[in-house]
Amino acid sequence: MSAVAGAPPITPGTGDAPEKRGMTRGRKIAYSVVAAWLGGVIFFILIYGFKGNKAPDVASGAFSPVDEFRLDTWFEAGPVAFNKGVLYLLIAVAITLGLMIYVARRLKQRPGRLQVVVESFYDFTRNMSRENLDTNLQRKYFPLIATIFVFILVSNLIGYIPLPVNSGDKFKIFGAHIPSLQIFAADTNVAYPLILALSVFVLFTYEGVKHHGPIGYVKSLMPGGVKGPIVLLIFPIEIMSNFLRLISLTVRLWANLLAGHLLIAFMGGELGVLVGDPWVSWLLLPFGVAIFMFEAVLIAGLQAFIFAILTAIYIGGSVESH
Amino acid sequence: MLSAAATPLASRSFLITPNVGLMIWTIVVFVISLLILRRLVFPRIGEALDNRAKAISGDLDAATHTREEAEKVLEEYRERLKEARAQSEEIVQRARQAADTHEQEAKAKGQDILAEAAKKGERDIEAATRRALDDIRKEIADLTILATEKVTRKTLDTADQRQLVEQALNELDFSGISTGQGGSQN
Repeated sequence: MSAVAGAPPITPGTGDAPEKRGMTRGRKIAYSVVAAWLGGVIFFILIYGFKGNKAPDVASGAFSPVDEFRLDTWFEAGPVAFNKGVLYLLIAVAITLGLMIYVARRLKQRPGRLQVVVESFYDFTRNMSRENLDTNLQRKYFPLIATIFVFILVSNLIGYIPLPVNSGDKFKIFGAHIPSLQIFAADTNVAYPLILALSVFVLFTYEGVKHHGPIGYVKSLMPGGVKGPIVLLIFPIEIMSNFLRLISLTVRLWANLLAGHLLIAFMGGELGVLVGDPWVSWLLLPFGVAIFMFEAVLIAGLQAFIFAILTAIYIGGSVESH
Repeated sequence: MLSAAATPLASRSFLITPNVGLMIWTIVVFVISLLILRRLVFPRIGEALDNRAKAISGDLDAATHTREEAEKVLEEYRERLKEARAQSEEIVQRARQAADTHEQEAKAKGQDILAEAAKKGERDIEAATRRALDDIRKEIADLTILATEKVTRKTLDTADQRQLVEQALNELDFSGISTGQGGSQN
């Protein structure tokens, strides 16, 4: 008679009934996000076409995503130039000192969450120093290692907060020209890690020379047990590897931060701008968010930790004899 | 939206060219941070952590000491409890023994009293019997005299009467009366 009449009878009380009742809230949200994402891709293709047009600056090669990392001088006070790198440095130092002094002045026997975080950081760094340095060096260099750790960590973390610092691209609000929002970190400029690495290099060389003497220090760079003509081959390599520490310290931090920021920028929309297809920007946006989370949660801390522990290892190793 | 300024590719070497101004800013800001943190922050945090470690260590020591004392006190308490139990058992044993002894003494005393009372009763009975016999003798004597006077129609003087009666009574056996059997053996 009808489709209903021909349908199989519904048997109440079967085991499948609760599953068919409805989706969980989390699953609903996930499906909605995926639907919005796919719908957005279709929307942008419908509006702008599958093959869009590149912006004139992109087509001419005038626009480059790396230009966002250029340090344009905003103003000068005598010999002192002020740019966004300096701004991020000052923000980093303000947050570092403000946070640490705030906690240090309110230390309690029963610590709060913030105090626990700071104390855990302190304890972790102190243990790291103890493991790599002897007692005297640990007492002398623990503040340096801890400062390097917290300073780079805060610099990295604030680098993931978008701030209006893109002076190459401005927008108007009530007639005022405001720089576009951008994620930037002071250590995306090679100057920041280079000066820190250079300082570490000078310090561990100084400690090595102080401990072994100039000739002894150079000899201490050689691995133990190497004798004969092979010394002529090994010695230059060891000298070079010693100087390469400076470069590896610098490049590891700088390249990681720069590459991370560029990846986030590309995935967050710039790739779509470069190819001239808005749907590509929308398509890659989730990947941009994922990379942002990965960088902010893992890379920021990891790179700060690596720089700090390598500092401890290099200083500790400089006074050891092979 | 995009950068309006045309940037020659050659000038993009800024990425690998260190900005000297930023280097100076970095080292200055870093050294200032290091000095401030080393002077104002790290010693305080280190001191606080050391103090807390000492406090925790002290608390642990105190807890260990307290536990040891508690165990010692518990051991003493158990020892005393054991002694007290032994003493109480001993006391109960003694009390039981004392009670038994007392009971036996009381029984013995009671038996003595009973025996004494029985003896006294016997004595009283004997005395009463004796008195009764005396009374009977007197009565018999008086009756005898009276009967003799009536038979002999002669009045006996007192001395004779007495002598005669006494003589007669002495010949009688009252042992049957005294033992409750009665009757004479004549």
